[in-house]
Amino acid sequence: MADPRPLRCAVIGAGRMGMVHGHLLQVYPGTELVGFADPQSGAHERLASQGLRAPVFREVPELLAAAQPEAVFICTPTHTHLAVTRECLVRPVHLFMEKPVATSVADADTILTLAREHRVMHAAGYVYAHLPIVEEARRLLAEGVLGEILRFSAHAYISEVFGPKSGWFFQRELSGGGVVANMGSHVLFILGWMFGRIRRVMATTRSHASTVEDSAHALLWFEGGVTGMLDTSWSMPGAQMLDYGITIDGRQGTLVLGREQILLHLLRPMGDHPEGWSEIHASDLPADTAFDISPHIGGEAFYRQLRVFETACRTSVLPFCSLDEAANTQRMIEGIYASAASGQPVEVA
Amino acid sequence: MELALDLSPPESKHYRSWSERLRYVARYSQPEEIHVACEMARAVGVTSLMAVLNRRTEAALREFQIWRDLSVWAVVPNMYAFIRDLTDRGLVGAALARFLRLRPSAMVATGVHALRELGPLARSDFSAGALWLSQMELAAVQGLRVNRVFLHPQLTEIALAGRATELFTEFARRARSLGLEAGLVTHNPVMAAEVLGGELKSFAAIVAPCNPKGYKMVPDRSTSEALLGSRRGQFWATELTAGGSVPVATALSHGREFGLAGAVLELRSLEAAYRDSSRAPAGPR
Repeated sequence: MADPRPLRCAVIGAGRMGMVHGHLLQVYPGTELVGFADPQSGAHERLASQGLRAPVFREVPELLAAAQPEAVFICTPTHTHLAVTRECLVRPVHLFMEKPVATSVADADTILTLAREHRVMHAAGYVYAHLPIVEEARRLLAEGVLGEILRFSAHAYISEVFGPKSGWFFQRELSGGGVVANMGSHVLFILGWMFGRIRRVMATTRSHASTVEDSAHALLWFEGGVTGMLDTSWSMPGAQMLDYGITIDGRQGTLVLGREQILLHLLRPMGDHPEGWSEIHASDLPADTAFDISPHIGGEAFYRQLRVFETACRTSVLPFCSLDEAANTQRMIEGIYASAASGQPVEVA
Repeated sequence: MELALDLSPPESKHYRSWSERLRYVARYSQPEEIHVACEMARAVGVTSLMAVLNRRTEAALREFQIWRDLSVWAVVPNMYAFIRDLTDRGLVGAALARFLRLRPSAMVATGVHALRELGPLARSDFSAGALWLSQMELAAVQGLRVNRVFLHPQLTEIALAGRATELFTEFARRARSLGLEAGLVTHNPVMAAEVLGGELKSFAAIVAPCNPKGYKMVPDRSTSEALLGSRRGQFWATELTAGGSVPVATALSHGREFGLAGAVLELRSLEAAYRDSSRAPAGPR
């Protein structure tokens, strides 16, 4: 029988993502927001003014001791994730880590090792993977609708950086990188979830507006034999929210994943799917979201992401969005940077 | 059922493909094309234009109102632009940058208000900040006849999640003091009704998803429809075509049968509605 008590959750880092998770934890029926940790003075008043009523502590140890959370949402700047993880795992708390999980593969692996050693559940915040239409595309591929998957092409564009920017987000050593680590990684995560472990990367990156890379082209080879290209930029006019798409070719057809629909072209009928072109629209998929915190950015995916994590914590079964999967994404990110720096293909161990 | 046209920046919408995005963004970046859309809207019976205001849209609407009498519903503040600034300026820095771009008279008007709220603003108080940003945008609007004002949905959803009722109450009060009607845009109308209770009646129009497929209707279609049905004169449908998966004519019929006060058309739905009325060639140019 499922535990009827709400899962006691705390948020570490009261920035934009911490605030979003805090609100969801208050609204979602299976969780209870028991505290925040943030060193900034005034965080308590700022959060309280939004209706985030949990106590705010300056330090993580204080939060853990006083609020006794069963799970923590780590929403601090990326370069702090490993240190915060170490602070949290003095006791067995489940870990939800905002993306990207680290500024390096070494840190991502250490975080994963720590989580395993402490036998806690873990997940990473690649939220777009939780959109119903993305889950449906992944399900179709896993069912073998396209037969053997051969190749893909993908893009991730947003209009965000058109000149010099300041703040930790635009310092590689603090944020982990530029558009690849912070925007393109959403699509890299989905690609890894669909095609498996990354094996080799060849990439170029350019910094034309800020001091980190603002655009990148990456050729990706996955261990299962799938190859393809990601083109990403945060200096692309016309898209106030992340615009992404993935076209996947298999021996038996093609799948085009967009924001709200899947276009499927099959050479022969497959299950319920007819030969030729057909469309699956997001509105045809079951609705299962009780609150939409951000209808235009992420939408129902935030709520669904929380449910997946809560379920994992209750059942002790790792979710698909675990830190294992995120470590694969981190390998792609690091591989892209290494290849761009060397001008050579990079083998990713 | 009345109709409104959503003239929010085309960059802020989802599209079926990158090429479709570029077609719409390029087309509706031109003031004369916004005028064409407004004329098409009038032809299909639209009476109001709802927009997150940026300089381009504001200028186009101001010109349009010189010769046409369509009312404007402003959605404030422009959170997409504001969030872009947030990443490198921080909350206070982004707000100050907006303040410093105001013309002198608007700066004086909103500055006096800001001085009264200096304490809460300095503490990054959510309601004080949201109201100041909203007031700055409304003050920056010159020569545009706005008759209804809506809080941007990104703030609305956060405020609903936090049950920050004072923001809604104060927003409605300030709208009235400016001679405007207050409205609400939300994807969570059931939560709005629960949080706001009797205060919900302060909002002349509530724009929320309603379509024949239940798409985006949270927590579920039946609960949403029960609420919308109980306040038919107040609710306007958005997400009318369920992400383009329902023909506009069918979607409009659904809204009419349901007895809603109105429906908000997106540009793509407008074009389809106009084509249906057999007065225009198909597709964006």
